[in-house]
Amino acid sequence: MDGSVKVTGTPALALRSVHRVYGFGPSATNALDDVRLTVPPGRFVSLIGPSGCGKSTLLRLVAGLERPDRGEVLVHGVPPATACAAKMIGLVPQSPALLPWLSVLRNVTLPQKINKGAARRRERIAGTEREGAPAAPDMRELLVKAGLGEAMHKLPAQLSGGMRQRAAIVRAFGLRPDVLVMDEPFSALDEFTRESLQDQLLDLWDELKTTVLFVTHSVPEAVRLSDTVVVMAPGPGRIVDTIDVDLPRPRGERLFGERRFHEYEDLVRDRLRRAWRSEAA
Amino acid sequence: MTVADERTTAPAPQADPPVEPSRFSLSHPRSRIAWIRPAVWLPLLVTLAVLAALWQWGAEKLPYLLPPLQDIGSSLAGQFGYYVDNALVTLGEAVAGLATGFAAAFVLAVLTSELPLVRRAVMPIAVVLNVTPLVAIAPALVVAFGFGPLPKLVIAGLICFFPILINTAAGLRSVPRQVLQVYRTMDAGRLELLRHVRVPNALPYVFAALRIVFPLSIVGAVVAEMSASGSTDGLGTVIGVASSMNQLPVVYASILVLAVMGVLLLLAVTLVERRVLHWHDSAHN
Ligand SMILES: Nc1ncnc2c1ncn2[C@@H]1O[C@H](COP(=O)(O)OP(=O)(O)OP(=O)(O)O)[C@@H](O)[C@H]1O
Ligand SMILES: [Mg+2]
Repeated sequence: MDGSVKVTGTPALALRSVHRVYGFGPSATNALDDVRLTVPPGRFVSLIGPSGCGKSTLLRLVAGLERPDRGEVLVHGVPPATACAAKMIGLVPQSPALLPWLSVLRNVTLPQKINKGAARRRERIAGTEREGAPAAPDMRELLVKAGLGEAMHKLPAQLSGGMRQRAAIVRAFGLRPDVLVMDEPFSALDEFTRESLQDQLLDLWDELKTTVLFVTHSVPEAVRLSDTVVVMAPGPGRIVDTIDVDLPRPRGERLFGERRFHEYEDLVRDRLRRAWRSEAA
Repeated sequence: MTVADERTTAPAPQADPPVEPSRFSLSHPRSRIAWIRPAVWLPLLVTLAVLAALWQWGAEKLPYLLPPLQDIGSSLAGQFGYYVDNALVTLGEAVAGLATGFAAAFVLAVLTSELPLVRRAVMPIAVVLNVTPLVAIAPALVVAFGFGPLPKLVIAGLICFFPILINTAAGLRSVPRQVLQVYRTMDAGRLELLRHVRVPNALPYVFAALRIVFPLSIVGAVVAEMSASGSTDGLGTVIGVASSMNQLPVVYASILVLAVMGVLLLLAVTLVERRVLHWHDSAHN
């Protein structure tokens, strides 16, 4: 199935017949098989699917951490490596991956000291798409917005898990990335923390309007956050469904009580169940 | 031997950074208070008293083996300046050797962690040499470099070199994968990654190595002094000369000074470590 959405202009993400195989011979794993996906700029896209269906692999390909064996990945029309060199991609891994010896503020400002040639390179790539290279944001302000105003000068070890994950998100947003990739960033958190972090993520996203590729195992999370939910299936890893979530924004807590929200949940669950079944078959 | 072997063949120092609970917990705020309580210091005091009594008893029975404690004390008190001067010579050799060995090992650790070719070429040898008792080459070095400070410095440096190399290399490479991924998506350069991520990450490993290597550097200097029978100063020389002249109190007084010196060095490392690694678990328990 093709995960494309109608796009005009250069898409933020374009995966064309992407294949990724791990290992050789009979023990080879087909992690991604003929994956096609096109995402227009500014969209929030979630990937959902059973364990081992290649969600993380897809993210690593987009983030330029691995290369496809066949096919092509383009970020705003350029290969991921070029996009990384221009600091167009922000990554939020499953663990916060903060540096334990730096305060929260220093952790989130370190990216500005790294790869300083990126701004120039980025102008050349993204200049036509967006209104020039975005200015470096005020990280203190972003931290306050994320509820980390008090914790700014603390070390990561002195924070709760939720606060650390928020710091990791602020670090990624601080790059003003064109594409933000997040691999189950909230999976280690309890439900309440999770919901409040979803709120904050949506707030930040609302302001910066970057394209987001978000991996999750939670159906309500996918429905609440996304414009598009991409359902994947394993063996071989592939996209089986693309569901556009046509719910109004902002999507506050009240959304959880609405019927339309639950209809979307049921729809995604149904497709997921089919993905499971296809694995068993 | 492959590089993969080095983890298993490398000796203890390579273990995870929070190496061992500090033996000098008296510098820790909470245990500083604890030291007031007799339950904390009394057992040690009793042990010391028993040992002293045994020593005195032994000194009476075997006068050619053990000098009475009061003789050691009076030798120390009577020639205090002499002991301090010689201790400073030994300390100087040890610290100079350690500094040289450290600088060389650190640079090589960075090279091995950045260049797989260098790692494959060097690490297996480093692992073997790390378990080789390098003090054994002291006499040969004396033959080569004479009775000056150079062979002592070389031995002390050599002894320090391999534990520092192996630990630092392990620390530079032990950055969590997801951290590396975050900075790789920003296309961080090698130097940037080294400076902002790898070197700070290696610091707990470096300090673990320093704790091992500081006492070793003194061992190296002393052994080198003892092997160079023409040397004029240093506690190793003092011990060598005194034992050939049957001056047991001088021998044991020198050993005592060496022990105190070792304790002070370790204490210094611990204090610096507490400041530098305030963010690390090992500084909190
Ligand atoms: N480095 C690797 N070497 C070998 N096989 C791998 C590697 N990375 C992933 N795989 C395999 O590729 C498949 C997809 O893995 P991936 O991590 O992308 O799944 P996932 O959808 O993220 O699963 P989860 O939901 O459990 O995180 C799995 O079968 C996995 O075993
Ligand atoms: Mg995964």
